[in-house]
Amino acid sequence: MNSETLNTLDTYSKNKYKYGFVTDIDNEKPKKGLNEDTIKFISLKKNEPDWMLEWRLKAFSKWKRMKEPKWANLNFPEIDYQDIYYYSAPKGFEKKPKDLSEVDPKLIETYNKLGIPLEEQKVLAGVAVDVVFDSVSVATTYKGELEKLGIIFCSIGEAIQKHPDLIKKYLGSVIPAGDHSFSALNSAVFTDGSFVYIPEGVKCPMELSTYFRINAENTGQFERTLIIADKGSYVSYLEGCTAPKRDDNQLHAANVELIALEDAEIKYSTVQNWYPGDEDGKGGIYNFVTKRGLCAGKNSKISWTQVETGSAITWKYPSCILKGDNSIGEFYSVAITNNFQQADTGTKMTHIGKNTKSKIISKGISLGKSQNTYRGEVSFLRKADKARNYTQCDSLLVGNKCGAHTVPYIDSKNNTAVIEHEASTSKINEDQLYYCRQRGLSHEEAVSLIVNGFCKQVLQELPMEFAVEAQKLVSISLEGSVG
Amino acid sequence: MNIQDNYQKNKKNIFFSDNKDIQIHREKLINIFETDRFDRKNNESLKNINLKKFIEFKYKYLVPEETSVINNNQDNSYSIVSVNGQCSSFKDDKIEITKILYEDYNDFSKNNTIEKNDHFVNLNSLFLNSGFKIVIKKNNNIKIKISNIVTDDNLTIFQKNNYICEEGSSLSLIEEYENKNNSTSNILNVINLENNSKLNHFLIQDNSSNHNLIITSHSSCKKDSTYTQKVYNFSEGYVRNFHYSELIEINSEADLQGIFFLKDNNTSNNKTFVKHLAEDCKSNQVYKGILNDRAKATYFSNTYVDQVAQKTEGYQLSKGILLSDNASYFSKPELKIYADDVKCSHGSTIGPIDENAIYYLRSRGMSKIAATKILISSFINEELSSINDDLMSETIQKKLVRYLSKVK
Repeated sequence: MNSETLNTLDTYSKNKYKYGFVTDIDNEKPKKGLNEDTIKFISLKKNEPDWMLEWRLKAFSKWKRMKEPKWANLNFPEIDYQDIYYYSAPKGFEKKPKDLSEVDPKLIETYNKLGIPLEEQKVLAGVAVDVVFDSVSVATTYKGELEKLGIIFCSIGEAIQKHPDLIKKYLGSVIPAGDHSFSALNSAVFTDGSFVYIPEGVKCPMELSTYFRINAENTGQFERTLIIADKGSYVSYLEGCTAPKRDDNQLHAANVELIALEDAEIKYSTVQNWYPGDEDGKGGIYNFVTKRGLCAGKNSKISWTQVETGSAITWKYPSCILKGDNSIGEFYSVAITNNFQQADTGTKMTHIGKNTKSKIISKGISLGKSQNTYRGEVSFLRKADKARNYTQCDSLLVGNKCGAHTVPYIDSKNNTAVIEHEASTSKINEDQLYYCRQRGLSHEEAVSLIVNGFCKQVLQELPMEFAVEAQKLVSISLEGSVG
Repeated sequence: MNIQDNYQKNKKNIFFSDNKDIQIHREKLINIFETDRFDRKNNESLKNINLKKFIEFKYKYLVPEETSVINNNQDNSYSIVSVNGQCSSFKDDKIEITKILYEDYNDFSKNNTIEKNDHFVNLNSLFLNSGFKIVIKKNNNIKIKISNIVTDDNLTIFQKNNYICEEGSSLSLIEEYENKNNSTSNILNVINLENNSKLNHFLIQDNSSNHNLIITSHSSCKKDSTYTQKVYNFSEGYVRNFHYSELIEINSEADLQGIFFLKDNNTSNNKTFVKHLAEDCKSNQVYKGILNDRAKATYFSNTYVDQVAQKTEGYQLSKGILLSDNASYFSKPELKIYADDVKCSHGSTIGPIDENAIYYLRSRGMSKIAATKILISSFINEELSSINDDLMSETIQKKLVRYLSKVK
């Protein structure tokens, strides 16, 4: 590495988190800690029916007997579950505002700082935004238009009230409460999240989107998202995250369940840019997310795309269970880690049905003193005749203090299934850099160009709304610090 | 019988049981067995095996009556017959063979390459009852062939061998394991390669279905040395091949290769692990497997690149062919990289025989079975054609033909 690289590296590694600010809103919280009372409090606050409370308590009793999964390549102090607030709602939000003018102006200001002017977005992008501020869904737009098509897009709390049949049938059907300790925790204390139901044969005309935002200190967010695509339907869902700067570690354990019935297709895209901690590794979000999709019907398709740049700890494996014959699962991921960030992320493709196909493209970039791990499992069960998988995971290393790891698990129990896996690890090619610089690009620009090229395969999978933001994020996280 | 009782009862037959340091270490090992919960899901050494059979075993060992033979032929080659893990001492100006001494008892407790919870390595240290040490003296170029023979039924052999290749030496080592009795051999090879030395290690495994072979090796390579290992597993019984290599000084190389042929209910567990601890080192890990009937196999490969090991080249390849509906193959090619100027990659494929290739051959008048056999042979041709010893090449061809005759 030359001195210029080192300089730029230095400048950029000191780049402060742009979205670090705190909105002062009085919070109404229960006491700290996790016990049955907390769960009853949450359930009461959310005005839930008894069966839901029972479901939560059952999950809680499972959680009490479980231990955190320890196999990931992550180092973090033990989480004290009793030192966390499990419910935090901005005051006066128990009755929902009818439109944006009723929303606390401070909240609106927060979104403006983040660059998501709600009012404008309503008119411009054709995106219906279901904004989650801390734990209560604040405003849901474009509902009317979606309702005309029979599409249900609301908070999960509302869905529990209005569509109990669907919730009872599908909630926990893909991620059982007792799957592992984080899913049990989420099932016990989830407060909000989105619910989407696309009826038979409907192609959702717009990208559905949610902005999650963690605000109140010491409040773990436990969203629960459930998306059901009925026969022959299509939906594209966007999830994006930014969080204000904090010194205390914040816990986030979300569960996302997708169900695609016959001929249905779900596209789920995420850009995650939560507070990663400062350059000394202090603070940052602990992100333990369980995302799982079930291709239940024939010819169904689920596609995950993620750009992970934030969080001190990322523990995330969006996976697909390919149950229906001819179903397709896809996973595209870019994970960038800097400073002391640790990411252990990947996917799980379980082939059950005949002729199922899956494709995994994962790009990991590690800088600073970070650790970036791809962990993925592809398994073909006995009946998965003619199933097919292709996996490619590439890592880019910048500096000799970081680590890039690849841990694939490949299990084949069917002799007509074909699996291919390849991975490579390297640093930025000096020749490419030289070539770009020769043509007048600055060192930074050259690096940015090369890295964007490295990630292109994944970024091009993102919907337009996200592509711009993602590219910006990649540039912010990478520019100049690669060499 | 539990491990503790088993050990106490047979203590007098076990090597070094009067040495204090070793006793302390063994007590720790016993403790591990008594407290471990045998987590099959996360412990690679436990996948797909009948653990009870190996842990609650009946200890039996016979000191060989005949002293093993060492033949010193003309062309710098030696034939060794190791009986029940032992062989007689020998010394000339090129090599020296002795029994293992307690200085050679390498407990690996300070070495974190071999996992601490590898129960088979621990069993080996605990019940050690045989083994030898071979030193290849400076600047010699020799060939050694070792036939490993187990004389009786129900023997449990725990063997630890030390190979030391002194500076500038070159050794071609062929080991054969062909046993027909229902014994269990648990062998740990510790290999040290000094500067500029070279070791070509061939392991030919062809045991009958009731013979279990657990073989672990740990090689460490100093400056400019090269370790090449080729495993040919034709066994009908259980075989575990776990091979670890450490590249501790500059410009050293490790090449761990293996092919296995499984059928019936057979299981094979394989693992290779290369640790790059110095600059400019190269490694290669290639395993290919053919699985028929209800056979099961696992292959774990791992490349670890330390922060200081710049300019590393580390490659992995794993290929599996499943010939039957009931066969299963699990592979986990892992990369752990802490240095930035490296070229590392892995590739892994599992699948059936290419149907287009079969179609091509059939359209030229070949029967389906003949076509399948030709394609299997070509799948491993690279490994077979790289053998430069005619006699060995012939033996392996014969074994391959025998395996192929059962393919339907």
